[in-house]
Amino acid sequence: MANLKEIKLQIASVKGTQKTTRAMKLVSQAKLKRAEELAKRSRVYARKLDELVSEIAYEINQNKVGGSDSRLVQQDLPVRVVDIVCITADKGLCGGFNVSTLKTTLGLIREYKEKRVQVRLRVVGRKAIDFLKYNGMEMKDEVIGLSASPDYKQAADFIGESMKDFIEEKTDRVILVYNGFKNMLAQEQRVMQLLPVDISTVEPRELKSSIEYEPEGYEELLNALLQKYVEYSMYYGLLDSLAAEHSARMQAMDNATNNASERVNELTIQYNKARQESITTELIEIISGMEALK
Amino acid sequence: MDTMKLEIVTPTGPIFSGEVRSVTFPGAEGEFGVLPGHASLVSLLEAGVVEIEKSDGTKESIVIDSGYVKVDEGKTLVVVEGAVPIIGKTESEIAKAIEEAKELVKKAGVSDFAIANVEAKVESATKTRF
Repeated sequence: MANLKEIKLQIASVKGTQKTTRAMKLVSQAKLKRAEELAKRSRVYARKLDELVSEIAYEINQNKVGGSDSRLVQQDLPVRVVDIVCITADKGLCGGFNVSTLKTTLGLIREYKEKRVQVRLRVVGRKAIDFLKYNGMEMKDEVIGLSASPDYKQAADFIGESMKDFIEEKTDRVILVYNGFKNMLAQEQRVMQLLPVDISTVEPRELKSSIEYEPEGYEELLNALLQKYVEYSMYYGLLDSLAAEHSARMQAMDNATNNASERVNELTIQYNKARQESITTELIEIISGMEALK
Repeated sequence: MDTMKLEIVTPTGPIFSGEVRSVTFPGAEGEFGVLPGHASLVSLLEAGVVEIEKSDGTKESIVIDSGYVKVDEGKTLVVVEGAVPIIGKTESEIAKAIEEAKELVKKAGVSDFAIANVEAKVESATKTRF
């Protein structure tokens, strides 16, 4: 009889879990929609920024052979120190989302170590921070809360530190690693070089008339624009990562809900069998009791 | 050509898009106005107020922190980090927008003089409307 009760309790508990996972899935679904919308809106800004950078790049390529003197665009720097910026979620329960980013990051670190390049880590998201701390790895900078609610100013401040070090020649390259949104079902590891910016790939646009610059000299403008460009890339990385996190969680929770229903079915069959068994035993007891009285 | 296209975008989305008669920008080297047919220009912007005269003659003020403006024939593009339009149907809505705008300018870390300038402009802009 105790067995019956146990199974009943188990069924109730699995059903409870199922309710939670289903709710989490719905929450992620709603949040994903919002995150996607945010990313879509912000892409307008990216397009316009691209337009501006490309026009100035065109101007520079025309007026100066060999391009700009700005350190932000030098491609052939000797690489001695690298900043790796890594974005993960603050929370788990989203399948392999965080783990795959960490794996990519560790792979990069190993790669650079082999080349005898010093690596500094700047980490966003509790999951990565916990993991790296546990493994005794040193972090230059860490932020919690930014990946769950991306804020342009905060993102700009965060990457600004890294940019400052780059301009002061403390680092020679800045790389951004995160898990990006591909579609509803898949995420994609993205590894992006933030600095130096490669302006040779920017499509130069020819203008109908010459442009006046204010303040004079396009170098200053280009520098300021490129900084915006890097800030925006960081911000977009956060948005993209957030969308991916929600899609990953949605999937993980969907799987969990399905697994829970399967488990409930199994347990129900077990329960029915146990019930039948107990009835049979009772019947046998009654019949044998009657037989004994004859 | 008596109107031109104006677009204002921020990282969180477009703020303004439409035909305008004239715009005034807070440039890094001083305030300047743009009318349709202005020569091509790229300029840094400082924290301040963008004043727009729309094609129907109504005025709109948008407070921005830092950014850029690019003017070419018949089209003006503004790329800014943060922007708060001073609009609203009721006075309390406008008051709220003004508060937000002040916050934005203060965060931009500009001089007190610039902040006072923005406040004065915003207030005069809202007064003419009521």
